[in-house]
Amino acid sequence: MSVAELKERHMAATETVNTLRDRLKQKRLLLLDTDVAGYARSQGKTPVTFGPTDLVCCRTLQGHTGKVYSLDWTPEKNRIVSASQDGRLIVWNALTSQKTHAIKLPCAWVMTCAFSPSGQSVACGGLDSMCSIFNLNSPTDKDGNLPVSRMLSGHKGYVSSCQYVPDEDTHLITASGDQTCVLWDITTGLRTSVFGGEFQSGHTADVLSVSINGSNSRMFVSGSCDSTARLWDTRVASRAVRTFHGHEGDVNTVKFFPDGNRFGTGSDDGTCRLFDIRTGHQLQEYSQPNSDNEVRHVTSIAFSVSGRLLFAGYTNGDCYVWDTLLAQVVLNLGSLQNSHDGRISCLGLSADGSALCTGSWDTNLKIWAFGGYRKVI
Amino acid sequence: MSLEVATVVEDAVEYSFAMEYHGPPITRELPRAVPINVDRIPVAAVVSPTPFSDNLSLPIVQPISATDIISKKLPKDLKLSSSSAELLTVSPTSVIAFDLRNNEVSEGSYSKELGLGTETSVSPSSVNNSLGEREPESCLNNDICALSGELSSDFECCNPNGGFVGRVESSGALGSSDSFEKSREFSGSLSKSRLSSGFKESIDFNESNRTDWESNESVLSVDYLSSRVSSRKFGDGNHESNCDVRRAPVVTFCDIESDDENINEEFSRSEPEVVRAKKEPAIKVRKGACYRCLKGNRFTEKEVCMVCDAKYCTNCVLRAMGSMPEGRKCVTCIGFPIDESKRAYLGKCSRMLKRLLNDLEVRQIMKAEKLCEVNQLPPEYICVNGRPLYHEELIMLQSCSNPPKKLKPGNYWYDKVSGLWGKEGQKPSQIISPHLNVGGPIKADASNGNTQVYINGREITKVELRMLKLAGVQCAGNPHFWVNEDGSYQEEGQKNTKGYIWGKAGTKLLCAVLSLPVPSKSSYPSGEQATSMNNWSRPDYGEQRAIQKLLLIGYSGSGTSTIFKQARILYKDTPFSEDECEHIKLVIQSHVYSYIGILLEGRERFEEESLNELRQNQSCDGSTLAEHLEGNGEETLYSICPRLKAFSDWLLKIMASGTLEAIFPAASREYAPLVEELWSSAAFQATYKRRSELETLPSVASYFLEQGDLETSKAVEILKPDYKPSDVDILYAEHVTSPNGLSCVDFSFPESAYDDDADSGDLHDSLLRYQLIRLQAKGFGENCKWLEMFEDARIVIFCVSLNDYDQFAVDGDGNLLNKMMLSKKFFENMVTHPTFDQIDFLLLLNKFDSFEEKIEQVPLSKCDWFDDFHPVMSRNRSNSNNANHPTMGQLGFHYIAVKFKRLFSALTGRKLYVSLLKGLEPNSVDAALKYAREILNWDEERPNFSLSEYSVYSTEASSFSH
Repeated sequence: MSVAELKERHMAATETVNTLRDRLKQKRLLLLDTDVAGYARSQGKTPVTFGPTDLVCCRTLQGHTGKVYSLDWTPEKNRIVSASQDGRLIVWNALTSQKTHAIKLPCAWVMTCAFSPSGQSVACGGLDSMCSIFNLNSPTDKDGNLPVSRMLSGHKGYVSSCQYVPDEDTHLITASGDQTCVLWDITTGLRTSVFGGEFQSGHTADVLSVSINGSNSRMFVSGSCDSTARLWDTRVASRAVRTFHGHEGDVNTVKFFPDGNRFGTGSDDGTCRLFDIRTGHQLQEYSQPNSDNEVRHVTSIAFSVSGRLLFAGYTNGDCYVWDTLLAQVVLNLGSLQNSHDGRISCLGLSADGSALCTGSWDTNLKIWAFGGYRKVI
Repeated sequence: MSLEVATVVEDAVEYSFAMEYHGPPITRELPRAVPINVDRIPVAAVVSPTPFSDNLSLPIVQPISATDIISKKLPKDLKLSSSSAELLTVSPTSVIAFDLRNNEVSEGSYSKELGLGTETSVSPSSVNNSLGEREPESCLNNDICALSGELSSDFECCNPNGGFVGRVESSGALGSSDSFEKSREFSGSLSKSRLSSGFKESIDFNESNRTDWESNESVLSVDYLSSRVSSRKFGDGNHESNCDVRRAPVVTFCDIESDDENINEEFSRSEPEVVRAKKEPAIKVRKGACYRCLKGNRFTEKEVCMVCDAKYCTNCVLRAMGSMPEGRKCVTCIGFPIDESKRAYLGKCSRMLKRLLNDLEVRQIMKAEKLCEVNQLPPEYICVNGRPLYHEELIMLQSCSNPPKKLKPGNYWYDKVSGLWGKEGQKPSQIISPHLNVGGPIKADASNGNTQVYINGREITKVELRMLKLAGVQCAGNPHFWVNEDGSYQEEGQKNTKGYIWGKAGTKLLCAVLSLPVPSKSSYPSGEQATSMNNWSRPDYGEQRAIQKLLLIGYSGSGTSTIFKQARILYKDTPFSEDECEHIKLVIQSHVYSYIGILLEGRERFEEESLNELRQNQSCDGSTLAEHLEGNGEETLYSICPRLKAFSDWLLKIMASGTLEAIFPAASREYAPLVEELWSSAAFQATYKRRSELETLPSVASYFLEQGDLETSKAVEILKPDYKPSDVDILYAEHVTSPNGLSCVDFSFPESAYDDDADSGDLHDSLLRYQLIRLQAKGFGENCKWLEMFEDARIVIFCVSLNDYDQFAVDGDGNLLNKMMLSKKFFENMVTHPTFDQIDFLLLLNKFDSFEEKIEQVPLSKCDWFDDFHPVMSRNRSNSNNANHPTMGQLGFHYIAVKFKRLFSALTGRKLYVSLLKGLEPNSVDAALKYAREILNWDEERPNFSLSEYSVYSTEASSFSH
């Protein structure tokens, strides 16, 4: 078989795939008679309303000297780890805004960080293509630096995202620019499974984000530059359980809905979407036309504990609070008086849902909490 | 205790005195006034009449005469009450009685309060009376309401008169609440009714004697407070004249009276000050102890909160102050303005903090402390020529080249023409930068002179006049002088300069004796604006220059790693650490094995070929076939002995399975002798001679395999266990730097570099740190999101290998493309990336040495992009060594450079810097990196160059524009 012939067949196959995909899309559209917002409205749901003082910035965590790229809360205590371009991880006590650890990283270009479920160690990854684990209890060396307790090396591209498997301090899932996700065994430092890659039906571009299902930790979802999100089962590394199309730009962030049956995505096309993992349908799109027509990307999203609110950070410094049911913007944290000056690069909700932490390129982190007598939703 | 008081005051603000309270239930105990036992009220000692006479005589009359309503009033509340609209049957001497009336008639409040304010300062005896007479009224709750009502009225009143009364009142009332806790001894009998007792206390201290205030902090705090409130007029005086507490409210009173138009403004200002004044540590601790853990003594090292003066020991400071987003403040004090008395310590780090935090954090905290908005000197506290400053004016004043020293809140005068600066009512203290547009016009009586001699419209003081006379200035006839900033003076209305005041050396001495200011050297008569600009921007600039990031990128195979290694070798004392050397050694060794493997593979191919050839020859010559087979056993030039053959097969098998790297460096000890034997075998040598036919063999292989003569191979050296790679070895070695991701090296150009280029000889330049960051082309992907991380890079060094023009590589989609085109595509991606839209690009055309050789054989038009390359070569190419005639290689380089420049300017509209490079020659890399540094220097100086100058400079430097 000649090369030309092969090429031709490849072309034809690609064509077929595309038409099938289109048909699938058409079929899905036919099956979808409503979206979440339409249904909620028909059920007479009223949008959540927020006054200007309902969600207030109550702490500013200052200490980084570079752009903050990532943050993560501990599951049980009110501690936060944040990663910044100054080449440091800082572990904060969110209540007192104290720094409990400042970890100097061997590679300053860090992109992600995560707290272990036990709160004993933190992980980070970045352009060095490694995922470094620091044990917070290990003694510091003579320069006062915390030594790396383990390096997970094996990725061929930058590590864009990492998350510990819930309730397991020894397993971690990373996403990388080499188009793969990897499940690691931290005790051995070896890869347990690789999701995607050259010969597998994985992402076809850099994977930017992972999120593990909170109720079923075997399932995780990944978002990629190929503008898709994929659902994976950690037991089946060879292929994705499901691929979610819909976004028209890189999927920058994915986050499981609290009930574990849905997940949200945020993308370069400026929208957030909600997908159902059982049906594969897109449930709702959250987008608002921007006043000044400039392209803004969604950098990070988080759900409130009930799932009623979706917090989304944008590159232009906006941070919208969406009502997930009615797809309306409840509040823009970026327009509040003491908001960040730069792009909001990461955000996360504390485990009990009482506080939201946002990290920004203005080098600060801010903690937002419900003011007054409002209850947590 | 103070906290409680504070809440009382706060609540008082909320309750309007005429309204009933509907708020949430109050958890704490309500202040209750207890019937007063007259006998137990501390009765003021009769104060000797003398201090009163001089204090009271002047100030009180003025305000009252100025106000219409109470115009007739004398500083006796007897008259005050009689003149007021509501006539009640209260005792005219009772202050509190007015308060009661106040409940009924709100409009009357100001007059009452005025009376009160007046009264507190005037007649202590009457207060005692009033307190005595209050008892029968028995409206205790009303009483309290009235008192709190006074407070609220301070804030609500919009009537100018009420406003100023309110100010006086608020100071009094707050003073009382503040003083309350500190002077419990006075209020013991009335401890339940805080406000009234506090109030009483404030009355008490009015009549209290001098020994009292010295011992009692309350007096000081009240004084401090009132000075705050009245700081506009009174600020300066209070520190010096705080010996007389009683005068404080009085003076304030007069001042406000004197300029009515500012009252509203003042009033609004006084409000935050009320908040501010009550900011005190939440707990009281033993003197010298830490406010948090309550341990320690006066001698333990402590950090002080800039707002509330709470002191914390080493263990507690970080807990109490958190991350210090506004500098050293308790977490609860964040957002509050600092204590003015601590302004001098702003940004001055204590040793304790340095020990607790790392340098970076300390610097950040100190920066935040100095620069954060709430910590700034509130501009309205500074009043220049009778007008409080605006924010911009204060900045201008502080940022000028010659700012006023130790600027404290207060009233100043400023002579814009000469730059003379002084406190209101005093002689000049300093000469600051002139022509600053701050404050109002100077007043004639600004320095309170009485000499009738004027300088720039200001009546000068006696001291100045003496100085002028001694300096030889003619002062007869009370002249009006016009003095410029350089000291030249002329009489008003005349043109000719009469002389220079500070011209003589003696004058300066004289000024020093008389403690008058002389112009500082740095104040230049012209270019003031420019220097002030520089002053302002410099610190920022310095920080930015701390480390300069050079981003080195290029398509794979463009030689970025060579440049990176060269930079390490050139600028680092120990380019590679022991560990790295060990690692590099292993990498090189395994590379050598793979080169040998490739050669052996070639050998097999050649052997087969030659055997086939042989057979063909023999088949032609059939008769000799048999003999050959028997005799030689298929021996050709490429055949090797069985032992080597076994090794070769094994090696090839390993290579095919891809486990070469896993096995080899480790097995090196065993196989090194075999390699030596192999190298010396004729077959191998024959293969090596034909190495150009083996495409997979990298060009650097020859460097590692042979060295000088073919007899002793370098490979043999390398495979010895004790082999130490030299710098050149490392330079030639492939894939020795981190295989994926990025690598960076910090360096600074060595000092000696300045000998050869004189024009960049700034000494501080050598201190500049550079960071060369090398990014791997692999894994860049389409959109390179994370390039945003490098937006602080100063320059992007893009590397292109010149001899890529005839080479092909497989791109992401599996298409075979020209490597030069791939480089070009990557270049386009990079220069149009939004992160780099302000960053200069330096294009390094690498591998010029091999390009020069190649272009003679392979035409440049092999690459589609270069199809219009038609070099005009001189006819006598034979003498190409003639300097006037560029070689083909140089022509090709210029052509490619122009191609890239056009592409760059079409994409960005900016100018591309190009340099050629021979990556393997240290001098060439050094020159290229220094060129990058020059570009950065030009960038900084660009605004200073005129356009033409600059373009000439750059054209010449980038060597070939077109």
